[in-house]
Amino acid sequence: MEQKIVDHLFRHQYGKMVAILIRFFGLSNIETIEDAVQDTFIKATLQWRSQIPENPEAWLIKVAKNRTIDILRSVKAEKNRFEKVAHKVVSNHTNDIFLDHEIEDSQLRMIFVACHPSLKPKEQIAFALRTISGFNSKEIAAALLIKEETIKKRLSRAKKVIVKNKIKFEFPSANEVQQRLDRVMEIIYLTFNEGFHSTNKTKLIRKDLCGEAIRLTKLLLKKEKFRSGNLYALFALMCFHASRLDSKTNSSNEIVNLEHQDRSKWYFPLIKVGNNAMNKAMEYEVISIYHFEAAIAAEHLKAKTFENTDWNKILYWYSELYQLQPSTFTQLNMAIVNLQLNHLEVAQRILDQISIAKLEQRAYLYYGCYAEYYVKKKDIVMAISCLNKAILKTHNDLEKDYLIKRKVVLKSL
Amino acid sequence: MKDFMMIFIGADYQELGLSPEQLQDRMGKWFGWNDKMEAQGILKGGNALVPVAKRVSGPDRTITDGPFVEGKELVGGYYIVSAENAEAVVKIAEDYPDYDLGGTVEIREIMVFDQ
Repeated sequence: MEQKIVDHLFRHQYGKMVAILIRFFGLSNIETIEDAVQDTFIKATLQWRSQIPENPEAWLIKVAKNRTIDILRSVKAEKNRFEKVAHKVVSNHTNDIFLDHEIEDSQLRMIFVACHPSLKPKEQIAFALRTISGFNSKEIAAALLIKEETIKKRLSRAKKVIVKNKIKFEFPSANEVQQRLDRVMEIIYLTFNEGFHSTNKTKLIRKDLCGEAIRLTKLLLKKEKFRSGNLYALFALMCFHASRLDSKTNSSNEIVNLEHQDRSKWYFPLIKVGNNAMNKAMEYEVISIYHFEAAIAAEHLKAKTFENTDWNKILYWYSELYQLQPSTFTQLNMAIVNLQLNHLEVAQRILDQISIAKLEQRAYLYYGCYAEYYVKKKDIVMAISCLNKAILKTHNDLEKDYLIKRKVVLKSL
Repeated sequence: MKDFMMIFIGADYQELGLSPEQLQDRMGKWFGWNDKMEAQGILKGGNALVPVAKRVSGPDRTITDGPFVEGKELVGGYYIVSAENAEAVVKIAEDYPDYDLGGTVEIREIMVFDQ
């Protein structure tokens, strides 16, 4: 048994199988299809012990399709419907071979279903991670730092809404596409950010979320009708950030801030891909928040050392970003950049304008920033008091460790 | 050398609701164990069992359909290995991948009848 199964094959295949089976059996059977796909993996774990099939992907899809038919057949009430469906499948596909472009096309449709406006944003993320990316509710809960029960509820509601509203497994109409894509990009970016900023103990989960977001964007970019400057910029932005993923934590899984990251560990092939995407993004007229955020990320990557960072340029991009879409997080970032530039008064003015409640679970960043302000003011007592507030506000062990270590350093000053 | 049957009880993947990633991970561990035994030339056969069953019992040959027991008591499969003695099989069984899921390995020597 020399043949090796590629890493994450099952997880990646999950989304493909669900998408292609929905294409043939319809979204109304999503629950049955998910069960059939799960059964198929269990069957594989047993059957493949003695012999791995020549084409594992095709085996999985074929077995899942047959399993779906079996389950539908056993549900008596649905018998009539099944016969119609089965007939259609047979006439379209006599030899069970699904073409790659059919699978990709189905996955793209699935992305639009997941981001359908009748679902709430939080359900959209959970549903996308489940049906497109193949995470189970426990893994989603771990990745998003939310209780598993909550995820289960969101998933079950999302499925109910899809069936009840008879949502179609098709692309939005031409006049709707851009608007629907905006939401798709938001969900992709949120997924990426959950991975990038999450300080989840398992590094793997972090990387997987970022990888999924990039994979889905790539899939969208393959289709001409979905391409836009925004989509290219989003892709560039994620490549830039992802290139730093490995240097964000050290070997003992402690957070390393931008100033102390080992810049030789940044992954340059990804930066190059990002640069190419950014050039494409600039060929379009519309400029989006993704353009500015990518520009900021690129500026950080350009600096050979932390000291060489062009903070003035970064501040300029942040102001542009704020003009386009005012947000509390952008304000906070502008305060941080002003601190770097030693514009202490400006930094303080911005910080005092921020409404902390809007930062939600990231409020600790605000207090952390204020602490650094007081460090620059050489007021260590106030700095430590701010750090204490930050420590109280964070629920994350890694962040907490980081802040506590910072406090130790300040106390020794 | 004698033949032994390792009977795997419990750790029903279906019931445990493992994710695709976890299932693949499990499969990899089974591959590893399988390969190891094959390399040692001790593996003589084995099968996984479908978790539904029929039972025929009593003088009337009454037929009942399973499952009859809970997942944690269900026989999921078996391997036949040849080894010096039961202790050697215990050593082999240490690599069974599913102890952490509540699985159990029962080791039974296969009876040899004199000619």
